[in-house]
Amino acid sequence: MAGVATSGRQRSRIAPYLMILPALAYLAIFFVIPFWSLFRTSLSTSGGSVYLPTLTFAWDFGNYAEAFTTYQEQIFRSLGYALTATVVCLLISYPLAYVIAFKSGRFKSLLLGLVILPFFVTFLIRTLAWKTILADDGVVVSALGSIGLLPEEGRLLSTSWAVIGGLIYNWVIFMILPLYVSLEKIDARLLEASRDLYSSSFRAFRKVILPLSMPGVIAGSMLVFIPAVGDFINADYLGSTQTTMIGNVIQKQFLVVKDYPAAAALSFMLMALILAGVLSYTKALGTEDLV
Amino acid sequence: MPTPHDIDPRRPAHLATNRASRRRFLGGGAAAAAALVLGPSFLTACGSDSGSGSTDTAPPDDGSPATGTLRISNWPYYMADGFVAAFQTASGLTVDYKEDFNDNEEWFAKFKEPLSRKQDIGADLVIPSEFMAARLMNLGWLNEISEERVPNKKNLRTDLVDAAIDPGRKFLAPYMSGMVGIAYNKAATGRPITSLDDLWDPAFRGQVSLLSDMQDGLGLVMLAQGSSLDDPSIESIQKAVDLIREHKDSGQIRRFTGNDYGDDLAAGNVVIAQAYSGDVVQLQADNPDLEFVVPDSGGTWFIDNQVIPYTTQNQKGAEAWIDYVYDRPNYAKLVAATQFVPVLSDMTDELAKIDPAIAGNPLVNPPSDVLAKLHAWPALSDEQTQEFNAAYATITGG
Repeated sequence: MAGVATSGRQRSRIAPYLMILPALAYLAIFFVIPFWSLFRTSLSTSGGSVYLPTLTFAWDFGNYAEAFTTYQEQIFRSLGYALTATVVCLLISYPLAYVIAFKSGRFKSLLLGLVILPFFVTFLIRTLAWKTILADDGVVVSALGSIGLLPEEGRLLSTSWAVIGGLIYNWVIFMILPLYVSLEKIDARLLEASRDLYSSSFRAFRKVILPLSMPGVIAGSMLVFIPAVGDFINADYLGSTQTTMIGNVIQKQFLVVKDYPAAAALSFMLMALILAGVLSYTKALGTEDLV
Repeated sequence: MPTPHDIDPRRPAHLATNRASRRRFLGGGAAAAAALVLGPSFLTACGSDSGSGSTDTAPPDDGSPATGTLRISNWPYYMADGFVAAFQTASGLTVDYKEDFNDNEEWFAKFKEPLSRKQDIGADLVIPSEFMAARLMNLGWLNEISEERVPNKKNLRTDLVDAAIDPGRKFLAPYMSGMVGIAYNKAATGRPITSLDDLWDPAFRGQVSLLSDMQDGLGLVMLAQGSSLDDPSIESIQKAVDLIREHKDSGQIRRFTGNDYGDDLAAGNVVIAQAYSGDVVQLQADNPDLEFVVPDSGGTWFIDNQVIPYTTQNQKGAEAWIDYVYDRPNYAKLVAATQFVPVLSDMTDELAKIDPAIAGNPLVNPPSDVLAKLHAWPALSDEQTQEFNAAYATITGG
């Protein structure tokens, strides 16, 4: 691949930097500064008046220890929910993306349109609709009950499965699209070649399609896992007191308890955990493309 | 990774698939995800680094009538049909009425920074609960309400005028009062509910909701435990919190709710809930099996107050509104719609003119045996509120 401009002209050397300047400025204003501010808050002690506390930066790592011991249950629950949602999204999306990419023929655009269609409806409405669908007196619960398939609690709403289901439903599109994109660009002639070499369909899938679609798998997994782990809307609407996620805790700490250092420490811990997870995941799957 | 030698013309243009564009797509997604995770940081950054500015534009009093636009921020379902329009006709003011006040503490978290810098908060009149109104008053963020321009204040219930929290009600103009008690679905419970301990009946496991507001949520439980609300200690708070935690951990309590408990109750997901009296009357329209009861061990009062933030852009308009609300025939329409307990005295006749049933409704006009069971929270210090809130939030928020 050609590098940056090879000519010695000053202008063309500066041009790329000028072009990324708006993005850099955006990143500085909306990411670096808030990030730094949040970091300082997480290590501060709050004092002064109760309602307008003054935060004093104090390297107070105790905030982290305390937040972790108090809310580790919610942290691990969030990771578990997000992981489950990501795996299920992958299992749902892969065959779907495969069919759209390779088998849909002239219906490709239509199928893609249908995948995207529900997401024209706002997130909140879609989540609230699930609340109606899964209601204790609703059709789904009574139908499952009559064939004896109801879980132990005798309900669907306000269970872990409702929350995980909400996460899957709301984020699945972020798995389908990257998978589709990576599958769709696979050169069909590679499959022909594998057949010419007497490969079985399964072997062709395992040796050709799966490795080539790996960037899509990784991208999709991250796009689902990262937002899902910090989500609080699904746990709020579809969950119960037994299913609170770390996003709910952070929201409550910021808005009700107003313990900003604890909330900031929780946010940072969550970020660190996500980063560690994503790095080990990409390392394990061996794509240097993404990190 | 092999590079495709030629581009497939059938490829949909809107999903360009070369590596560079997918990277951009990913980058955008990651940034969006980061923004989601980082959400709270923006809040802190805005909170601590913004500059100062004052937009105090309260007009000096020259005796002229109120004009212009009045921006009101109220709770949902707290208004009668046609009331705002009738006020506009009567006063000549334009009213921008919003039902965007959903939770005292969240409202405070959102507006305390601009208020501390005396910046406009987009509302000239707000209707917080009593403890929040008192907090705003003590922080010096409220304007005094002119006695002169609110002559109908004489109609207030005398027990309300004598409030310890704001003697003479100079800053806090009560809008509506009501009872915190228990709402239940009698078809689902199969029996009348009378005691707070019924919330912990294993038959209702996973179908109970409690209020997440500290005073409204803990008050009933503390009364049932024999604790007094007159001078609450952290020990009595903790005792109630411990009991609730036990029932939360056992799966008895399904949700901690704000004003949104009604949906679950009407839909049948929750069969017994801590609730506000007037809401239940309104919910009965959706589900006639719902009942409201003040438990034997006692319930609590709540009062929501009209207050004028010191950043108001229309002091006189706000006062004209309060005066209009305090006119008995007008107020009767509000009570008939909200079904809460009137803050004005001698409302029976005016209510009977609208509907005799409302005048006789025990939720609007509680009989003496119910009144005897009702308690009110005292004015808590800032430190107490913070300490009690934090204790309750350990279970409601996690």
